[in-house]
Amino acid sequence: MKNHRKTPNPFIHQTRVWFPFVSPYDPCPPQRTKTYIVPPNQYLGFQPPNLPQFPPGEALLKGTLWPILYSPYTKTSEREGED
Amino acid sequence: MDRVEQFRHLRRIQEIDFVLVELNLYLDTHPDDLQALEQYNWLARQRAGLVSSYEQQYGPLTNFGHSLNRYPSGWDEGPWPWEM
Repeated sequence: MKNHRKTPNPFIHQTRVWFPFVSPYDPCPPQRTKTYIVPPNQYLGFQPPNLPQFPPGEALLKGTLWPILYSPYTKTSEREGED
Repeated sequence: MDRVEQFRHLRRIQEIDFVLVELNLYLDTHPDDLQALEQYNWLARQRAGLVSSYEQQYGPLTNFGHSLNRYPSGWDEGPWPWEM
C-alpha cells in the first residue's frame, strides 16, 4: 500500500487507511494501520442519467442497480492495506 | 410438487421488484429521464404478467384485495411467500 494517498479511482478503491498513534505504554499489541470505507456515492453527486446497470439477478445480489455505486463492505481482515 | 419451479418463479419476481424499487427511487429525483421511465413501465408490466401467472399456478401472493384468493390452495393454506 505504498501509494495509498494517490487513490486513482474512488469508485473502485474505496478503502482508506489511517495510522493510529502507538504509545510505548499501550497494554495490548499496537494496531498500526486501520482502514475505513468511503462509499462511491460520496463522489457521484447528482446521479447522471443512463448509467450502466446490473442485470436484475445480479442487482438483487449486489444490492444496487448501478455498478458505479456498488460498495461491498468487506470485513476489515479482507481489506487491502490492513496488516 | 414442483417447488423448484415455484422458487425460480418467485425469485424472478423478487429480482424485478428490486429493480423497480431502484428505478422508483431514481425517478423520484429524475422525473425527466424518459428512458428510465420507459424501463420502469416496461418492468412493471412484466412484473404484472409474472405475478398473474404465478398466482394462477400457486395461489395468491398478497391479500387485502391485491390478489385473487381461491379455495383450495388459497391463503388459508401454506406455505406463504415469506415462509418459503
